[in-house]
Amino acid sequence: MDQVESLLKRPRAYDNIDGVGELMLGFMCLVFALFQWLQVHTPEHSIWNRTYMFLIWVGLMLVVTTFGYKAIKKHVTYPRTGFVKYRAPGKTWRMIVTMIGAFVAAVLAASLYAARSHWNMTSTLPAVLGLLVAAGYAFGVGRTARWKWAVAVSILLGSIVIAALPTDLTGMIASGSWMTASYPAESIGTFLLCIILYGAMFLISGGITFWLYLRHTQAPTEEANEPANADAQ
Amino acid sequence: MNRQTQTLNELDRVIHEPGRLMIVALLFAVDQCDFLYLQRETEMNKGTLSSHLSRLEEAGYVEVVKTYRGKVPQTLLCLTEAGREAFQRYRKMLKKAL
Repeated sequence: MDQVESLLKRPRAYDNIDGVGELMLGFMCLVFALFQWLQVHTPEHSIWNRTYMFLIWVGLMLVVTTFGYKAIKKHVTYPRTGFVKYRAPGKTWRMIVTMIGAFVAAVLAASLYAARSHWNMTSTLPAVLGLLVAAGYAFGVGRTARWKWAVAVSILLGSIVIAALPTDLTGMIASGSWMTASYPAESIGTFLLCIILYGAMFLISGGITFWLYLRHTQAPTEEANEPANADAQ
Repeated sequence: MNRQTQTLNELDRVIHEPGRLMIVALLFAVDQCDFLYLQRETEMNKGTLSSHLSRLEEAGYVEVVKTYRGKVPQTLLCLTEAGREAFQRYRKMLKKAL
């Protein structure tokens, strides 16, 4: 019975067999960090601090990741290891995703409120974010390969290192920015470092997975996709 | 004959065969997949997989659609409503029997 249950979970794990999901997530984190950095280091009324620019940036990021994901799947994954179309998520799964989303949104909103109130968040923000990201990664991706647990641990340890950095150092990232009037410079610096760390970790992990996938698989030379009229075993 | 043996005897023989059980379980978890994916996941050769699929198609559990991906032939497979119900029934009965 356990073997049947494990078979039912295999198609879900197949979704990230090539590491493309991680690559796209890492790309999104780094692109978002770049946008944040531009916002911090440009004048308050520059184009980078306009709401429409943020929406354009997010739109472009989503277009690139969506089409990039589909293109890699279509030209690399499906010809090598097969095509899979997933079922629409059920009620329970949708509820779990909504609850996790609400929890993450609540944590971010609380962080934003705390930062606005000039609370020192340089140690709590990376710790909470690190724990959430590492747990999410371990649950969603880490189960597929043992070495990925090392990535989850690295995310957590990296977050702890960021939390332990001297505030002078993290504050230097946003020093002189107009944003420091609303948020402490060290909180902005800490947040940026966290996003860069997560983006880099996802990119490295996705890159290794993609490289291993390409190394261990190849498209069938014959028409393996077409069933032969062979006899039963 | 005790109840457990009776339940085991009532199991759907089309699904109960290990190879076909593997195929049906994999198809149950997806909306649609192709022959190559199933071949890779089940580690069966083309002939064996093909014959199991024919048996499942005969029973009305699997729908086979032949199409093309560019110029390459592609065989798309999915579980029919009857196949989904049969697998759910099979799982229930197996749980009861074990």
